Amino acid sequence: MDTESILTLDGVYAGYGKMTILHGTNFTVPRNAITTVIGPNGAGKSTAFKTIFGMVRANAGRIAFEGADITNLPPRALIERGIVYVPQGRNIFPQLSVRHNLELGGVAAPAQLDLAGRMEQALDRFPVLRRKANQQASTLSGGEQKMLEIARSLLLEPKLMLVDEPSIGLSPLLVSELFSLLNDIKARGVTVLMIEQNAKRALESSDYGIVLELGQTRMFDRADKLLADPRVGQLFLGGTMKTTKGAA
Amino acid sequence: MTTDILQLLVSGLATGAIYALVAIGFTLLWQTSQTINFAQGEFVMLPAFYILMAGNLGLPFWAAALIGIAVSVLTLGVLFKLVVVDPMIRHGVMPLVIATIGLAIVLKEGVKEFYSAQAQPFPPLAEATNIAIGGVVFSLQSIVNLAIAIAAVVILQFFLSRTYTGRCMQATAQNPSVARILGIDVDRMILYTFVINAGLVALASILVTPIYLAKFTNGETLGIYAFIAAIIGGFNQVRGAILGGLLLGVLDNLVATYLSTQYRNALPLLILIIVVLVRPQGLLGRVEERTV
Repeated sequence: MDTESILTLDGVYAGYGKMTILHGTNFTVPRNAITTVIGPNGAGKSTAFKTIFGMVRANAGRIAFEGADITNLPPRALIERGIVYVPQGRNIFPQLSVRHNLELGGVAAPAQLDLAGRMEQALDRFPVLRRKANQQASTLSGGEQKMLEIARSLLLEPKLMLVDEPSIGLSPLLVSELFSLLNDIKARGVTVLMIEQNAKRALESSDYGIVLELGQTRMFDRADKLLADPRVGQLFLGGTMKTTKGAA
Repeated sequence: MTTDILQLLVSGLATGAIYALVAIGFTLLWQTSQTINFAQGEFVMLPAFYILMAGNLGLPFWAAALIGIAVSVLTLGVLFKLVVVDPMIRHGVMPLVIATIGLAIVLKEGVKEFYSAQAQPFPPLAEATNIAIGGVVFSLQSIVNLAIAIAAVVILQFFLSRTYTGRCMQATAQNPSVARILGIDVDRMILYTFVINAGLVALASILVTPIYLAKFTNGETLGIYAFIAAIIGGFNQVRGAILGGLLLGVLDNLVATYLSTQYRNALPLLILIIVVLVRPQGLLGRVEERTV
């Protein structure tokens, strides 16, 4: 591979109880790029993210971040190393204000960090959040809630951001905004690893793509090459692709 | 007539505020850890006996009360979580419910067996006198109890909404998996709610025991009243528990005076049935969305 990698999965086995989802999954994530993981439902995309983030236990294999072993570290330790995770669905605290939701992105902040300053920067970057800063987060629209989650995850200036299905439930216009936001985030030096059901749109705004199937990496290539690949087209981008929702 | 009602209102609020303290604890435990504590009434009964025991050592009341609160926090807060809740909750909510019912019996029978089956006098915080405010006579004890309970609720609300740790606790209650993802020490936040609950029941014990005397059966009605207060207010809302407690205290007092003391115990159940039928999420509660 021609680029430096930030994250590597090496023969990772993981699952729920006796059900193994990841069967020796291998992949590498290039630094300072957007990489999208695509694959059918049940391929293990979300499980891979949860395993990376210490929410699901890896039973075998190794996960390395910037060369250091991070296998089965708890979320707090991963945040301190510069990894954040934005799961699928709604991940806000509905009864806290927008400001207080945002502020909780700094739980793992080192003591000397100027959290108030970071909050101001974040609110500057997301004017809609500043306008509604004192409202209950439950009053935000779906798109605004996703913005809040992303702003919150960026508060500590992470190196790697895992985003699971950020576009679910958003209007096409908002999806475009979201993908351009992810490109801004990349431009600021954050590596983005994303799962998307909306494979074609996601690959168009990504640098790299990973095709995951039955818990194993089938393909890894530049996003434009995957978009042009007939196998990928048939499997995931064509009319036959199933778009049923569900946790994968 | 209006002065009567005012008096009844204040004494009802004073009792209701104590129910509210107990109901708030109940609600907090449910919110953060899905613990339904059917020993909550016994948790109010017991601290009074801790204080009596400390008093028997010759300590002045205030020192005995502090020791009683500390021992309550340790046993009804920390130990309760570590010994009863943590091992049982892994098996689900129901096994834990049964365990707390068992615990209630153990505490009740334990006090009866090892301390006394007789009602014990318990020193009140205020003298049993009346004070007149604007021509209306109130019992000083009611006023003091109400003031202390309100102060406790205000301090608790301040802590939960105005401090970072308090907001981390709220976040844990509202969405524990996301709280964990953000690096919040969820287990520690849950422990804090157990400690707060223990503090609340100990305070309630100090306020209520002078009225009923210290007796091993004190928890029976208190536990049910707090449970019902939490449900009618909305099980997932602290302010619901406050409303439920106050409402129950006031209505209980009014019914006992104007209708019949015989029916006073039926009233909470009646209100419970009406609320569950008409507004199952409680007066201030939200419909819970829980995903498996």
